[in-house]
Amino acid sequence: MFAIGAGDRVVGDTTYCDYPPEAKNVAKVGDTLHPSLERIIALRPQVVLVSTASQLEVFTQQLQSQNIAVFVTDPHDLEGVFKSIEQIGRMLGQDQQAQALVKKLRERSNAVEQAVKQAKPVRVFYQVSAEPLYTAGRDAFVTDLMRRAGAISVTGEVPGAWPKYSNESALAAKPEAIILPTGGSMGTANASPAEALRNSPAVQAGRVCKINDDHLARPGPRAVDGLEEMARALHPEAFK
Amino acid sequence: MITRVTLRRTLIACGLLAITLVLAVVIMSLIGSESLPARASLCAIASLGTADCGLSRDQYDILFQIRLPRILLAAAVGGSLATAGASYQALLRNPLAEPYLLGVSNGAAVGTMIALVFFGANEWSRPVLAFAGALVATLAVYQLARGRAGATPERLILAGVIVTTFLSSVIVFVTTLMDATRIRSFTFWLLGDLSGATKTLLPVAIAMAVLGTVALTLNARSLNLLMLGERDAFDLGVEVGRVRIVVFVVASLLVGSSVAASGSVGYVGLVVPHLVRLSLGSDNRISIPAAALGGALFVIVADTVARTIIAPRELPVGAITALIGAPLFIYLLKRV
Repeated sequence: MFAIGAGDRVVGDTTYCDYPPEAKNVAKVGDTLHPSLERIIALRPQVVLVSTASQLEVFTQQLQSQNIAVFVTDPHDLEGVFKSIEQIGRMLGQDQQAQALVKKLRERSNAVEQAVKQAKPVRVFYQVSAEPLYTAGRDAFVTDLMRRAGAISVTGEVPGAWPKYSNESALAAKPEAIILPTGGSMGTANASPAEALRNSPAVQAGRVCKINDDHLARPGPRAVDGLEEMARALHPEAFK
Repeated sequence: MITRVTLRRTLIACGLLAITLVLAVVIMSLIGSESLPARASLCAIASLGTADCGLSRDQYDILFQIRLPRILLAAAVGGSLATAGASYQALLRNPLAEPYLLGVSNGAAVGTMIALVFFGANEWSRPVLAFAGALVATLAVYQLARGRAGATPERLILAGVIVTTFLSSVIVFVTTLMDATRIRSFTFWLLGDLSGATKTLLPVAIAMAVLGTVALTLNARSLNLLMLGERDAFDLGVEVGRVRIVVFVVASLLVGSSVAASGSVGYVGLVVPHLVRLSLGSDNRISIPAAALGGALFVIVADTVARTIIAPRELPVGAITALIGAPLFIYLLKRV
């Protein structure tokens, strides 16, 4: 909403929402897993935007029974992120800004794809957490981002969005690079690859890429920042 | 004379279980989400890892760095929990006494969480604080259970339920305060997960399992007499207070080291000692070491299911032990 010029109409958000900095000054309704229904009703919003990344079916039903409209986004790829930006723009009467934003984002994403087109795709393991080992599966939109960044996720066909993954399968997949979403609101968590991957080609060759998690985990405009960072980390030669 | 017969029976029962356990370790190490060549793997295991027998580097690492440590951790955790359960049941004269149901596992889990939150980088802090948590929970349950009329079995279980639910609330409270990115891995860990067999915690868990089982087996004769009742045992020369402290401390060490390494794996301490007593009788000199071996066997098999059934994804082993354990326990309840 901030990116399409509707930031002044945000009456409440979650403790997780820290970008842009203005978002921190909005009334907080709890975290993404435990939003306070009472506080949301008290803020009298016309519509509540929900990302199903937070899996809140009961919560959305309760909002609907209070006659508060709910808009749910659940993008599984970058195209889905663009679509939800456009839909939100249309809904808020910020159609032009939304389309302009998506146009710009799409240009940037196309530029990345052009740049890495000639490069050989890198086999990548995406490590969400080391102990226990979690990764990104078929339904995670970062799997699409990896593809666009000139990479093949070795877990791209695993069912689900964030599956717990077998240590031995991760090693046997022989990833050439490991992506560690870390930093940002994650702090220093997830800053090193899992013990089991110590002898993987990726760690041996030193291709462990730390990418700001805020750019990879949130299906918003900054996903394109994440895409650019990933592509640059995996194919530095393509961006000289 | 009686001792000699018991000794022989113990040696035969434990010998058979030990052979089965070794076979299980070897067979289960051939099963996993990645398939390894069976003959070469057996050859490498027989050489204790000194020869690769034609296994590739990755296959060798999978077998010796990932799969076997995990199986050994499963054995240590299973042995620890079953031994702790068997000795709680003897000491408290209560067939339902079990680390998970008494809240001891949750106490250890709270200790581990405190270690993770405040001393995250230091792996040694985990078993130490888990032990402290387990001991505090044990003593709390024991004190709560002692009424004017002594500790009745019902009172003990009620005290266990209260301590368990209280500690569960503490866990929920702390996980809510922890940042969102760590919650998911933590909830998985709470259900019991053996994938994190680390270089520090694995030797700790194995050492504790072995030493703890030996220590409790040495007190088995006293525990036998205690099953007659504390007063009778005292009259027969058992130092009741000392035995109680030994069992509480050693069982807390066992539960603490296994929870620190793997979270709360439920039902092991309940199902395994019951099965052992049903087949070998209730002499603790046999049932405690046999429970240790049986528990190791049970968790190794349960974890093999957990890591292969939806491979390459994984389930928490606690879900499997509960799925097998709860119905088995209902069956045992109906039979006895």
